[in-house]
This record gives sequence, structure tokens and C-alpha cells, in this order.
Amino acid sequence: MVDLVLPLAQQSGITDTGITDAGKAIALGVGAGLGSIGAGIGIGIIFGKEIESVARQPEMKGELQAIRWLGFALTEAVAFYTFIFGLIAFFL
Amino acid sequence: MSTRLKVLIGVGLYLAILILVGVIFGSAGENDEFQPQNEFLLEPWIPIEIGGIDLSINKAVLYLVLASAATIGVMTFLANRMKREPNRVQMMVELAYDLTRNNITRTNLDERLALKWFPFIAGLFFFIWFSNMIGYLPLPTSTENPIDILGLEVPTFALYAATANLSIPLVLTIVVWITYNVEGIREKGFFKYFASWLPPGLEDMNPIGKGAIFTIEVLSHMVRLISLSVRLFANILAGHLLILFMGGGLAVLLGVAALGLLTLPIAFAFFVFELVLIATLQAFIFSILTAIYIGGATAETH
Repeated sequence: MVDLVLPLAQQSGITDTGITDAGKAIALGVGAGLGSIGAGIGIGIIFGKEIESVARQPEMKGELQAIRWLGFALTEAVAFYTFIFGLIAFFL
Repeated sequence: MSTRLKVLIGVGLYLAILILVGVIFGSAGENDEFQPQNEFLLEPWIPIEIGGIDLSINKAVLYLVLASAATIGVMTFLANRMKREPNRVQMMVELAYDLTRNNITRTNLDERLALKWFPFIAGLFFFIWFSNMIGYLPLPTSTENPIDILGLEVPTFALYAATANLSIPLVLTIVVWITYNVEGIREKGFFKYFASWLPPGLEDMNPIGKGAIFTIEVLSHMVRLISLSVRLFANILAGHLLILFMGGGLAVLLGVAALGLLTLPIAFAFFVFELVLIATLQAFIFSILTAIYIGGATAETH
């Protein structure tokens, strides 16, 4: 891929640092974006299942609430891990 | 006039202003001077260096001191003023006390350990909560671009939190990590504690398989150091970044004034979301995971 892109870029007057910067920006965008897909699906599943459980057993609502937030925060954090690793790639 | 018409007129007016601003100011071109990452830069205010280690007083230290002072000050002040008929503030504190005592500590630890570790876990909860909350107050701490008011250099307002810097969540995490391991060793004894890392039901397994599983368990305990600290840090940092970009950072960066008008309502929405949900939720998660880790290390059967 790099062998393919580099000569093309050099012909059109793009410097090496420019390509590196572009690569970093793509790393941040794609990394954080793809990470968000997984976390989004996970959060959807958690809330969907919680609604389902409360509909089945409304008396469990109080107990499920605490578990729901725990699951939500643990899943949401996955999106932030990808975001942080994207930022590391972007700034280093 | 019906509600529907009012909403339509409001939206139309908003769009008209948006287009007007877009037409009048247009695009000022990309801005290279404004560096958004400098918002999180730590300028040494009082440089201190001992033995090659940078111990300067900077923005993060100020926020750390503020959060600690707020935690100690507010909680002791309220504790001394407790009344039989609670007012609204006391109700809130009692609610938080009930949450840390019954929901976080007692559900994960048995009676004796809950009594022992409740102050630690509640202290963590309140410290992280106050730190997160102070982070959403704009304070004049950004010394990078000071404004000149009557010859006085006044720092601009900035959002920052002690927990938006990786060092502080990491220190809290290391304290928690050492705590639960030491507590586990104290409860079970050195070798029995590490043996309890192996899940039950492996008595008939050969030593190689046991070793492989033990390696994975060691890794999972090490990963807790990263996951616990990065979760808190990244949530707060991402929240501040979102508010910064939506509240005008994006418009300044791209030089399009109309974009700022478009993103400002999103900034308000995120601000409320972060303030109401994330700040409390992250404090809750950190303290409940501490309780779960201590409970897991001291439980009789793993």
C-alpha cells in the first residue's frame, strides 16, 4: 500500500510529513469511528435487554438499574479506549 | 397561534440567522494559530524540580487541590450541620451516603469488610465526584492566552479537571490495585491468595494448563490498572473535548462563524449530559469496581 501511494504522492508534490500527518488523522478517525460501532451496539443491547427484563419482571426495576449503569459504563469505556489510542497515534 | 406554528417560526428564524451569519462573515480560512490540544497543556506556574523530577505547580495541581478542598470542606461542613428535619442539600448528601453505603459497599462486601472499607470507597466516590463537577465550572486558569484588562493580564476561562489528566486517575488506580491485593493477602495468606486467582473446577488439570490459565489471570489483573484509570480519564477528557469543539472550537479552527451557531446547541446538550450523567456515573463506576475488586480478592470461593 505504501509502495503504491508514496511515488504517486511524490509526483504530485506531497511531502513525506504530509503523508504521515494524513495517516495519523486517518488512524484517529477510523480507530475512534470503528470503536464507536462496537460500543454503540453493546450499549443498545444493554438497554434493550434491561427494558425487556423490566417488562417481564417490573418488581426487579430497582436492582436492574444499578446493573444497567455498570454495564453501560463498562461498554462505553471501550469506545474511549479506541479514542485514546487514536489520540496517541495522532500526537506521537 | 398554535404550538406547531411557533416551533416552525422558531426553527425558521434560527435557520435564517444561521444563513445570514454564514453569508455575512463567510469563511475566514483555516486557522493554524489555534491549537486545541493546548487547552490541556500544563504550563508550570511555580517551577519546582527535585532530582530531575518535575514537581511544578500547574493547572492540574490547582484542580487537584480544589477538588480535595471541596471534598473535605463541603462534607465536614454538612456533617456538622446535620439536622433532624433535613433540608434539600442534606437530603442529597444522605442520598449519596446511602448510595455509597448500601449500593456500592454492602452489595459487594460482607458485613465486617464493608465496615472496614466503607470510608475508603466513599472517599474515592466523593473525591472523584467533586473533581468531575469542578471540571464543568469554567475557571480562569488558562494562562496560555491571557486577556489584557486595564494593564492586568487575566487568564482566560477554561474547562479542566484533575481527573482529565491521566496521572491522577492512575494514582487512584494504583492505590486501589495495591489495596485489594494487600487485603487479599491479609485475608487468605500469601500463597493461598495467588492460588485463589485460579478459577474453581481446575483440580484435575495438568500443571501446564494451570500455568497457562494463571498467566491469563495475571494479565487480567494487570489490565485492571489500565482499564480502571483510562476509563475515568478518557470519559472526562472526551467530554471536555466535545464541549470545547462544539462550543466554538470547531468554528474557530475552520474559520466558519456560522458553524459555531450550528454547534452551540449541541454543546449545551453535551454539557447537560456530561454534568447530569457522566460525572456521577464515572465516580459510581470507579468506586463500585473498587468494591468489586476488594470483594473478589477476599471472597472465600473465587
